[in-house]
Amino acid sequence: MPKIDDSIVPGLRLPALKKTITQRNIDYYSGVRPHSIHTDPEWAKAKGFAAPLAQALMSTAYVSQMMTTWLGQGFVVGGKISASFIKPVLSGETLTAQAVVKAVEQIDGRCYVSVECWCENSQGEKTMVGSASGFSDHIRQPVLSS
Amino acid sequence: MMKFEPISYEVVTVGEEFFSDDFLIKPEDLETFAFAVDDHDPWYFEDSAFGGPIVHPVMMGNQALMMRHSRYIIPAGLHAKMHFEFVSPMRVGMRVRSYGKVIDKYEKRGRHYMVTEFQTREEGTQKVLTQGHFTQMLFSKSGVHEHAKNR
Repeated sequence: MPKIDDSIVPGLRLPALKKTITQRNIDYYSGVRPHSIHTDPEWAKAKGFAAPLAQALMSTAYVSQMMTTWLGQGFVVGGKISASFIKPVLSGETLTAQAVVKAVEQIDGRCYVSVECWCENSQGEKTMVGSASGFSDHIRQPVLSS
Repeated sequence: MMKFEPISYEVVTVGEEFFSDDFLIKPEDLETFAFAVDDHDPWYFEDSAFGGPIVHPVMMGNQALMMRHSRYIIPAGLHAKMHFEFVSPMRVGMRVRSYGKVIDKYEKRGRHYMVTEFQTREEGTQKVLTQGHFTQMLFSKSGVHEHAKNR
């Protein structure tokens, strides 16, 4: 019988993740090539950006890290991420990924939890907003409510 | 032989299908991805609840995003939205390929977008590993993005 974790309630905040995105991180993520707004500074400038851009998808990796650390297998199988990328992130910026529980429901007798998630830059501007979800019957690392 | 053409709102058609090259997931790919996103979770290198290491759930997202490069020349573009559904864990040694179909294109506030649904499957078994859809912005003909003006 899957265990129900009563500590997972709307408003529960997951530990934030802070990531400083270096050009080297972007190079590894995107693969270095010319004429890329991610890895070619001159090309990025020609396209109107002050510096190369981090790939937006990198933010989903941060959300995935939070959810995999927390829910474990209930996220890896049956989990979801929906993200809207609302502001470009330049090389060298620091992002903080955050998530707050929005809903807990039963699906096929299993507990399914949804969070609102976002990333914001060091100016406090949101760069990504969205949601993530997964089954919470095999919690890997509990979140302590503050 | 493939003939590539510059992508534009006009040439992209709803219903057109793409697929990526196949990709063998190698241990070094996990290391590279872990460095890129600074996530060195032991589930990806030692052991996981699935028995043995797994692959970061979103690691093959770029394979899906890059499908349109198999037909078009993409001078630049911005990723607007992403939806992932994780169906089955990926593992090192799997050979995977992403398949996609353009399900919508639209104009909003003077900007053009295309929406592609995708599945990433294991070659051979055709087992679905990850699926979802994503929205990509198509740059204007000048190739300079409006978002960039204040950056």
